[in-house]
Amino acid sequence: MELQEQLEELQAQGLGVAAISYDTEAVLTEFSEENGITFPLLSDDDSAVITEYGILNTVANEAFELVGARLSDGDAENLDPVIAEDIEKYVTVTGGIDFHIGTAYPGTFIVDRRARVTSRFFEEFYRERNTIANIMLQRGTGLTPIAAVEGSTAHLKFTAYPSDPYVRPGSRISLAVQIEPGPNMHLYAPGAEEKGYRVTSFSMRPAPYVRFGPVQYPESEIYHFEPLDELVPVFMSEFTLLQDVLVEASAEAEEARSQLDALTLTGSLDYQACSDTFCYNPVSIPISFTLDLRELDRSGPMESSPLRARRAPRANTNPN
Amino acid sequence: MKQQNRAAILGGIMATVLFAFLPVTTAQEREAIDISALGPQIGDTVPDFSLPDQNGQIQTLESVMGPNGAMLLFHRSADW
Repeated sequence: MELQEQLEELQAQGLGVAAISYDTEAVLTEFSEENGITFPLLSDDDSAVITEYGILNTVANEAFELVGARLSDGDAENLDPVIAEDIEKYVTVTGGIDFHIGTAYPGTFIVDRRARVTSRFFEEFYRERNTIANIMLQRGTGLTPIAAVEGSTAHLKFTAYPSDPYVRPGSRISLAVQIEPGPNMHLYAPGAEEKGYRVTSFSMRPAPYVRFGPVQYPESEIYHFEPLDELVPVFMSEFTLLQDVLVEASAEAEEARSQLDALTLTGSLDYQACSDTFCYNPVSIPISFTLDLRELDRSGPMESSPLRARRAPRANTNPN
Repeated sequence: MKQQNRAAILGGIMATVLFAFLPVTTAQEREAIDISALGPQIGDTVPDFSLPDQNGQIQTLESVMGPNGAMLLFHRSADW
């Protein structure tokens, strides 16, 4: 379990950790013993806390009222398409419904000492989630970088690393580049494109069943470029850019990746650097990240969804 | 002409009445789910709790809290 792997680092940062689910104490005891869990797994077996937090999975109840304990093939035609889509997003792509009643929408809150939320990480598809390492990186308290690649150009030094060494279907991770501008150099931040400068950014090549989200920037400073009397947003000291990456978890994505044991993401880091007196041409540095692929954490084998039949009709193999 | 119109209107009313009784939930009656809007938002205080852990010990927000705060991870199940 990833949380257990990262526990020491989280505690070193002064964070307490607890995982909450609708499981009974007995289930949690067994899981804890099997997986060597040393942080509290809390049993909210009547879902009272999950409900009080406002994150009870109500689509599971809705699905149960409409189709019962399990989706069957005929449900594809009878369900409202919007509800069918929600069932796949929030409840199941494999068919079982009843045991989801009382569960939480999966997600993570980080709170300060006074129990105020400082960040929260929830997803719209139940199989997708931020890795713990990515959560820490996005909070600006990254864990120790792994698999880092270092390099330098005439204008800067950089260290590129993924938030995680491995991914699973549904993992949301970040590709990080830490950049240290050279002496008297500045690089452009969002907003500088209005003045005709190239903003520091990633341009990742499309990869199958991988979605690249926005790039997360730290706060920039305003620089007064005297020769043109311009005010431009820039980065002048060390900063880190995060490129959001989602490894898709659909059945098709898993099928397509079934023969792979690693995922390579390539692209470039693009920037333009200027000194106090001179602006250099935009530069593009090739970057590449290789992530080991692991399987989805799940007990049973993956089945195809009964709801999927509507979208991709199966060939009629009935001999009659 | 008039009668045809009346029949059409009557038909329309009957169809509406019939549909009203069918146990079909339509997308319009249902609020769209937006997970990002559910639960405590940034800056909100989260509710306290008192729940048993895997060793039968009661834990609260205070007891799981570290010196800089806490990570509360809600997951679907450890059983499946």
